[in-house]
Amino acid sequence: MDIKAIEKILEADGIVFLTYGGFITQSLIAGMTDALERESEKKDINQRLANNIFVIFIELSQNMMNYSKSRENAGGEFDPKGLIMVGKGEGDSYYVLSQNILDSGDRDKILPKLEEIQGLDNDGLKRRYRELRKSGRDSHGKGAGIGFYEIAKRCDQIKYEFISIGDDKFYFQFKAFVK
Amino acid sequence: MIRGVVMEKLQLEATQYTPEINLDPAGIMAFSGKSYPENTFDFYQPVMEWLDQYFANELPKRTVVNMEIVYFNSSSSKLFFDMFDMMEEASGEHSLEVNWIYDPENESAREAGEDFIEDFEKLTINLIEKG
Repeated sequence: MDIKAIEKILEADGIVFLTYGGFITQSLIAGMTDALERESEKKDINQRLANNIFVIFIELSQNMMNYSKSRENAGGEFDPKGLIMVGKGEGDSYYVLSQNILDSGDRDKILPKLEEIQGLDNDGLKRRYRELRKSGRDSHGKGAGIGFYEIAKRCDQIKYEFISIGDDKFYFQFKAFVK
Repeated sequence: MIRGVVMEKLQLEATQYTPEINLDPAGIMAFSGKSYPENTFDFYQPVMEWLDQYFANELPKRTVVNMEIVYFNSSSSKLFFDMFDMMEEASGEHSLEVNWIYDPENESAREAGEDFIEDFEKLTINLIEKG
C-alpha cells in the first residue's frame, strides 16, 4: 500500500484530525468522538466550536450508520462503507466531510432538504428547525429527520455533491465548514 | 384510595454516548452528560414510560428537573422536545420547574436552552450558568 499517496491526499485537504473509511458502528462513532474531544483539547479549540464539530460529526456518521442498517434490512446488494473526515481548513475554519453511496431514490429524498437549507438564512434555518422538531413530521424510527438542519445550524457553510457512478448509484459527498 | 402503582427510582449510569439519568418519585429528576444513542427513541423509552406513570400518580408538592447535557444529536433534541411537551402539560396543575444547566463556555448548550424556552411558554425553564 502506498502510504505516501494517502498522506498526499490528506495534506491536500489541510490538517486532518481524523479520517475513517469503512463500516460504521455506534461504538466506533463513540470512540472517534472521544478522539476528537482529545484532539480539540490538545489544540485548545474553544468549546462552542468543538461542540459544533462533535455534533456535526455525530450527525453525519449516525446518518451513514442508520442508512446502511436500513439498506441491509431491506436486503439486496449494497456497499455499506462510508468515509468520514475531520480537518482544519483555511484560516480558523474546520470541516467535516462525509461520503457514502446512495441510489437515485435516496438522492431524491435528501436533495430537497439540502436545497431548502441552502436557501435559508440563519433565522430562517432556526425557525424551520424548530418547526420540524415540533411537528414530528418526517420523523422515522432512527432519527428525527432534522439532522441536516441541525448540521446547518451549527456550521458556516455546507457543500454537497451527488456524483454518478452508474447503475443508478451516486457518491453522496457532504462537507460542512465550521468557524 | 389506590392511585396507581408505587413508583420506584429509575437510575441509569452514563455511557460514552448516553447521559446519567436519575428519576426519583420524590420529585427530583436529573439528566447529565452527552446524548447521542444509537437509537434515541429505544434508549429513552423507559424514561418516557416512567414519566408517564409519574404524572399519572399522586404527585409530590413540586417537581424539579435538572438537565445538564453537554451536547446532543438531533434525535435527542426531538426527544427532549417531546419530554418537555409532556412536562408542560403536567405543569398546568402541578408545580414543575426545569433547570437547564450549562457551562459558561458552552454557548451552543445555552442556545439550545433558549430555544426550548421559546417553544414552551407555559413551562418554567430556568437557564443556569454553572459557577
